[in-house]
Amino acid sequence: MSTAITVPEDLWEGDNEGVITAWLVNDGGQVSQGDLVAEVMVEKAQYEIEAPADGRLTITKQEDEVVEKGTTIASLDD
Amino acid sequence: MTNTTATDSGSRKLTIARAMAEATAQEMRADPSVFVMGEDVGPLGGVFGNTRGLYDEFGGERVRDTPISETAFIGAAVGAASDGMRPIVELMFVDFFGVCMDAIYNMMAKNTYFSGGKVKVPMVLMTSTGGGYSDGGQHSQCLYGTFAHLPGMKVVVPSNAHDAKGLMTAAIRDDNPVVFMYHKSLQGMGWLGTEKGATVATPEQSYTVEIGKAAVAKIGQDVTLVSLGAGVHHCLRAAKALGEEGVDAEVVDLRSLVPLDRETVRASVAKTGRLIVVDEDYHSFGVSGEIIASVAEHDLACLKAAPRRVAYPDIPIPFAPTMEQWALPNADKIVDAFHQMMSQ
Repeated sequence: MSTAITVPEDLWEGDNEGVITAWLVNDGGQVSQGDLVAEVMVEKAQYEIEAPADGRLTITKQEDEVVEKGTTIASLDD
Repeated sequence: MTNTTATDSGSRKLTIARAMAEATAQEMRADPSVFVMGEDVGPLGGVFGNTRGLYDEFGGERVRDTPISETAFIGAAVGAASDGMRPIVELMFVDFFGVCMDAIYNMMAKNTYFSGGKVKVPMVLMTSTGGGYSDGGQHSQCLYGTFAHLPGMKVVVPSNAHDAKGLMTAAIRDDNPVVFMYHKSLQGMGWLGTEKGATVATPEQSYTVEIGKAAVAKIGQDVTLVSLGAGVHHCLRAAKALGEEGVDAEVVDLRSLVPLDRETVRASVAKTGRLIVVDEDYHSFGVSGEIIASVAEHDLACLKAAPRRVAYPDIPIPFAPTMEQWALPNADKIVDAFHQMMSQ
């Protein structure tokens, strides 16, 4: 089963764009639900993205790429 | 820390900010005498992220926000350390050492000596360094040489999260005062010009990196590039560019300034015969001159060429982005320095 990692709609206030500043797990790494996987910067503030499920990480949005709320940034596969 | 971390520890990476916070949290769990004090280190988690999560776990008694009076709270930390606590105190920008230097270099650094060894001052003074993000001449300096010059305190400058965690743990456990200088561009905070190479695999369990030991970040045969903090990443990029020309550069990451690992530098230059020192601190009277002297006064014969340095010019740091970038060390300047060395 594949689960998308998307930028949560309630991660920050307003509709500003963000930038992925760090992936904290390598592409292909194994993660558990709740693990911190990435950081997104919005207006000098940093927000954390957690894994919504267990699985092997496939990154689709790289560091320095611009994201919005709802953007899919990676997927997790069994 | 409120967040769990990746289960596959081999692939878990941390920013330096997170590595510092994780080391601090682990030591606070193990030792009730460890506490944190400074401006915005509490609920905000530090303006550079390095105390994130500590307030939630340990509360306001052990993670203390202070008023903007470095004189008072760094002085208080010296007193607490002298009386058996292990404070970690933050000077938000090293540039503002001027208002609290008496507490640092007359009290923190010297009380053990003045007391004939009866008073230990086991504290960590952590402070941000460096520029590159247009914050002006009073928020962008490194001042490595200023602190390393004054006896009585250890000084460490990590270039990546693995070393930052190990050096922070070692600093907290050290019975001497340790100045922990972290470069803003390595913190993983995007708006400070994040250097990707600083976010590396970092073990979850507690460990130390020995204070006073340099690391060879890249092995090479033809020229030794010595640097610290953000400069290590400039050197690694320069080494890659030189590699494309067929030049095999070695990169030495000092990691600590006090004690200074002169042996690792000398051993590298003995092998390569060529030395370039890269330092974001000011050119004159600083780290770059000390490194060159360490080699020259030991064995001049090993040098095939006069050493060179790529350091910050002796000018106040400009605010204008184009002017600041012109003045900062970078990989191109290191490659140019090597070419100049070879043309003479």
